[in-house]
Amino acid sequence: MTDTTVFAAGAPPRAIPRIRLSTVEPWLYLAPALAVVVLWVYVPLLQAFELSFYQWNMLPRATPRFVGLDNYRNLLGLPDMRQAVVNTILYTIGLLPLSVGIPLAVALVTGNLGGPLRNFYRALIFVPMIVAPIVAAILWRWLLNEDHGLVNAWLAGAGLAKVGFLSDPDVALWTLVWITGWKLIGFSTLLFAAADSAINPTYIEAARMDGASGWQIVRDIRLPLMSPTILLITMMTILFGAQWSFVYINALTGGGPLRSTTNVFHVMWEYGFKTMAAGWSTAAGMLVFVVFGLIALGCLALMRRLAVYDE
Amino acid sequence: MASIDITNVHKVYGRTPAVRGLDLSVEDGSFLVILGPSGCGKSTLLRMIAGLEDITAGEIAIDGRVVNDIEPGRRGCAMVFQNYALYPHMTVAENVGYALKVAGIRQPERARRVARVAETLGLGDLLERKPAQLSGGQRQRVAMGRAMVREPGIFLFDEPLSNLDAKLRIQMRLEIKRLHRELKTTSVFVTHDQVEAMTLADRLVVMNQGLIEQVGPPAEVFRHPVSRFVANFLGSPPMNFLPTAIDRRGRAVVEGGHVPWPELCFDLPSGAAIEIGLRPGDLSLVAQAGADDVLPFDPEILEDLGNELHLHGSIGEISFAVALPAATLVPAGRLGLRAAPGAVHAFRREDGRRVEPRARSNPPAHESGEAAWRSLSLSFT
Ligand SMILES: Nc1ncnc2c1ncn2[C@@H]1O[C@H](COP(=O)(O)OP(=O)(O)OP(=O)(O)O)[C@@H](O)[C@H]1O
Ligand SMILES: [Mg+2]
Repeated sequence: MTDTTVFAAGAPPRAIPRIRLSTVEPWLYLAPALAVVVLWVYVPLLQAFELSFYQWNMLPRATPRFVGLDNYRNLLGLPDMRQAVVNTILYTIGLLPLSVGIPLAVALVTGNLGGPLRNFYRALIFVPMIVAPIVAAILWRWLLNEDHGLVNAWLAGAGLAKVGFLSDPDVALWTLVWITGWKLIGFSTLLFAAADSAINPTYIEAARMDGASGWQIVRDIRLPLMSPTILLITMMTILFGAQWSFVYINALTGGGPLRSTTNVFHVMWEYGFKTMAAGWSTAAGMLVFVVFGLIALGCLALMRRLAVYDE
Repeated sequence: MASIDITNVHKVYGRTPAVRGLDLSVEDGSFLVILGPSGCGKSTLLRMIAGLEDITAGEIAIDGRVVNDIEPGRRGCAMVFQNYALYPHMTVAENVGYALKVAGIRQPERARRVARVAETLGLGDLLERKPAQLSGGQRQRVAMGRAMVREPGIFLFDEPLSNLDAKLRIQMRLEIKRLHRELKTTSVFVTHDQVEAMTLADRLVVMNQGLIEQVGPPAEVFRHPVSRFVANFLGSPPMNFLPTAIDRRGRAVVEGGHVPWPELCFDLPSGAAIEIGLRPGDLSLVAQAGADDVLPFDPEILEDLGNELHLHGSIGEISFAVALPAATLVPAGRLGLRAAPGAVHAFRREDGRRVEPRARSNPPAHESGEAAWRSLSLSFT
């Protein structure tokens, strides 16, 4: 190690202490990034943690009142919260076929197509991705309108009964799942297609020489070699799926009808910014943080076990 | 065990022709090596036999059955790829057994056959490893095992040894030879390494630009190249070529009016241009450059390869190489080169085809009549 010093070696000694740049330098470079992370992530996280033990209505004049674990106790006992947790799980499960299943199938099928046709299909499926979420929400509200929407007009044309896509408590959640997923399909397809075309074609040729059928090649060669991407997208869906649907809940149903479409993120937002219950909101936030943190750790461990990497 | 018959096969990629009307038959149990420069269509031909590449025109038959439209897995061929293409997520045992698995063979039977192949190839201790945990030579062996386990009628090899270091390459070459002697499976082996080609082949095919230049036993191809291309391609250092013109008596006249081989007469019109090909190993050094049968040679660089000396220089404007026994003392200054008439190859200038001298009516008495064939060493250093 050669220490870079402010003064060149051999310079006349002075009274000012020598600063060892080499020890400070890395931190200097890191400082802006660290400052941002600390200021915007860790400080708020700690403050939220602190707030979750207080009762406070976010008004500057009101002083937060320490209530201990009351917020947590109340939240866990609340039927609203239970409903939100169940819905969060439903969102996640409902999204998986749309973010993993269909895109994977599309990528595998179009992977065999050659030339311009393949790009055409991929472009087609990628379009929803580039539509802004709020625009997508409004488009879907029009399409799914119970009285004048195109979809209900088609259903009527086909002799079927009208469906209250956003007003029927049994249907509304799945409508939101569909809209969230519809937006994701293109992105996932793109990632899967990239993973598929990154597979060294000689593996597939070797399997063909071994006598494997198209389906056997998919099952034994292509899927295992795509496993890192499959696991990554599955993990992202589990961790973020419920968050991705927040925009649509907020814009289309506001959690209703009868709280049938709310999820933990929406509940958190309601407590915090509608009813101004900072304590409840932050307590819910801490719970979500811990639970999803644990799930993330589990997913990472699983990924390390299951994914196969080509050298 | 199977034979292959290739009739007038063409392959065109878009507009680039890769194989241009090729006929070849491979006998049951033989070891055919396809040799040629990069891009001449060797891999393409092999992949068409395998079924990995469509055949643009023509026919390929295996055991008399046309296989143009038959899936690769049903042609009875197994292939060893250049990069081995071992499935990275499967263990060695799974890699070797995969063909059996997709053929629906049950686990105990599969394990037995994999174990047998593993034993032949010395893979016994590696069966539970993944390909990433193997050395290059071990991977090569696993790739061989994967090809062998189905007991195919034909082995196809596409430069399987080119990723190995020199020593391992020789070892694997011998191993492949040994396996072929044991199994007697028809093999087609693509390479651009001429040592591999010469040592492995029963029959050697030299390809150039999508066409076959010559087919035959390797020694025959080496000693009797039918074209300048084949002559130039085989042998290291490559054959020397000396432009000559035919005089009125059919003899080859070197620039400067020399007639080094008066006893060789060609049935060609006077003034026809031919190139005389001389292998570096067939040339001998003589100190004086005066005699008519001696070519004046200006040496430039001497390479000592340990077992042989390579002397590079020129005759007039043409660069020439001479291979000499290791103990030779090379005098300084201008030297002379001499080659026995039996060592002379001649190729027409216009198309590079071989021309043979007219059969001699009375063998001329020349000093080293017996040396002509013996001095032809297959030197490949
Ligand atoms: N998929 C392809 N698309 C277009 N052209 C191709 C394709 N594969 C090969 N070619 C062309 O066909 C010709 C023959 O290629 P091939 O791979 O058979 O050569 P090769 O003799 O195996 O060469 P090498 O010794 O470098 O492996 C080359 O000119 C090559 O550019
Ligand atoms: Mg090749």
